Amino acid sequence: MVWQSLRNKVFTRRKSFLIYNHLRPMSEFHFKKINEALWEIEPTGRMRVPARIYATEKMLSSIQSDNAPQQATNVAQLPGIVKASLAMPDIHWGYGFPIGGVAAFDLKEGVVSPGGVGYDINCGVRLLASKLNIDDIRPRLRSLIEDLFKRVPTGVGSAGALSVSREELKKVSQQGARWAVSQGYGVESDLEYIEENGEIAGFDTSQVSDRAWLRGLEQLGTLGSGNHFLEIGYVAEIFDAVAARAMGLFLNQTTIIIHCGSRGFGYQVCDDSLGKMERAARKYHIELPDRQLACAPIESDEGQAYLGAMRCAINYAFANRQVIAHHARLGFEKVLGTDRRDIGLRTIYEVAHNIAKIETHVVDGVERPLCVHRKGATRAFAPGSAEIPAAYREIGQPVLIPGDMGRYSYVLTGTSQAMMDTFGSCCHGAGRAMSREKALRAAKGRDIAREMADRGIVVRGQSRKTLDEELSEAYKDVTSVVDTCSIAGISNKVAKLVPIGCIKG
Amino acid sequence: MNLNNHDAPANSWLQEFDHTADRGILVNAGDLKQLFSRCAWGMFTILTEMESVRAVEEIEINVNADDLPGLLVKWLSELNFFHNIKHRVYCRFEVMEVSEHQLSAKVWGEPIDPARHVIYTEIKAVTYHGLAITQEQGVYQAQILFDL
Repeated sequence: MVWQSLRNKVFTRRKSFLIYNHLRPMSEFHFKKINEALWEIEPTGRMRVPARIYATEKMLSSIQSDNAPQQATNVAQLPGIVKASLAMPDIHWGYGFPIGGVAAFDLKEGVVSPGGVGYDINCGVRLLASKLNIDDIRPRLRSLIEDLFKRVPTGVGSAGALSVSREELKKVSQQGARWAVSQGYGVESDLEYIEENGEIAGFDTSQVSDRAWLRGLEQLGTLGSGNHFLEIGYVAEIFDAVAARAMGLFLNQTTIIIHCGSRGFGYQVCDDSLGKMERAARKYHIELPDRQLACAPIESDEGQAYLGAMRCAINYAFANRQVIAHHARLGFEKVLGTDRRDIGLRTIYEVAHNIAKIETHVVDGVERPLCVHRKGATRAFAPGSAEIPAAYREIGQPVLIPGDMGRYSYVLTGTSQAMMDTFGSCCHGAGRAMSREKALRAAKGRDIAREMADRGIVVRGQSRKTLDEELSEAYKDVTSVVDTCSIAGISNKVAKLVPIGCIKG
Repeated sequence: MNLNNHDAPANSWLQEFDHTADRGILVNAGDLKQLFSRCAWGMFTILTEMESVRAVEEIEINVNADDLPGLLVKWLSELNFFHNIKHRVYCRFEVMEVSEHQLSAKVWGEPIDPARHVIYTEIKAVTYHGLAITQEQGVYQAQILFDL
């Protein structure tokens, strides 16, 4: 029945109604102010829980002009959702779930949805910090960027960093970053500083399609396109000296940020699952407010199959970033002609921001295992959490928030407030202020690489168009996003990182 | 040389539209076969410069789906898959047969040559989000969004 109505909906749309006509006009939503940084849409209609959006009053109008709040209310309609459908301050319009969406589901009553994870499964961020001062790097910056651009394949269908056999790829999908370390890509101590130690259990390789394996074969150690990047920068400001010291961060220290995910392997796992999930939703009589929210009960065969395949992609992404980090170290060694120990590019931490995981959280005073979906949201666990490395247990989990290529990124820590309010989650990035098309128009007649160079930032992209689309001002100022998280108490600011060089996918 | 198999200039039937981080296309056609073929052309205009692609190799594509919009996603996903795996770009799409659940087509293109082909971006996936096919007064229209 649900299916029939969806189909009818599709076929009865008229030309003039096309372009997202199925979305409810924003004016129908009433945003109730909870505090300076939190708004609530109370449950109406099929919503089972409220939608809660983290934003300042200033940010709210731009959020309201987008369809993301509608998507947050759609998520609130899914079976077994616990407490609220949450959206972080970098919320924007995604597919199914909004980007910046967080939703937790009861393991018995709830669902798992590929739309709550996204196509780029375990897209995430690694931060490495060197012993070197940024001034030691500057004279060799251009050579460094050129070397890294060759060493770390970027762009479209980029392949060739590492060629593995199918058997080997299976191990990658089971062991994640540990596989990479066992092959000589990086060191054992990297693993301690990766979410899940770079290796998630519960994978099921039998649920991964031939196509996903094929797409995964050539892409290990590649950045990919879009907003993925590798950036060289430095610590420009420290807000929390204690936390910075615990992480080994100091002013003017050279840093590397790597932002990428599971490449074609993950995209294919997600794609393969959507059709199956749609059939599962019909089978289990789940009404879908949006086709991209296709889902299945967590305990069903379909739900377990997706989780098993998704975890293979999670491991692929962990391995991918580990290989890239290794290549970045090699690039530094070669160009600087310095020993690895003197460069000391240490993994500070690595976070995932497109993921679904089974975690235990306290809800109404009771500990419950939940399936937490974070789509464009970062885990931000509090001090004392067993899941974070011993070295950070007193300060809380490091949270890495990349900004745009021309401004800055942030290092934050998770808080106990986040554990109470957001299932231990906070924002993940700046979010685009301009569409790609608009950015291209804004960049017309300009030489973006030269403009960046004039500002002291060397950028290298696969094409001029890539750099134009990734224009600094095409992104919102990430400061307003992290400041909103601070006001809400769901993370603390630790340090600000400023880029001096970037390679773009 | 324009190697596409469409009788009218693309700007009369193809419109790209913006989505915050991604891109969508809105395509008009006189019948379903043309609609599917034009959608494929529209997708490859996001990936590359169509004028640079030659129709030197032919492949056959057969896909099935539960319904027509789903079939459109499958068809475009299939082409994107071959683009990624075989490192090919395509420029000519002849839909031989299309029903609500099944499509067969012949597609022409060539291996990607970095010296001649610029590849602008990577399409992660063809999404179901905002997906629509309509028919009104003999005009078929499709709306489709790509995750970039």
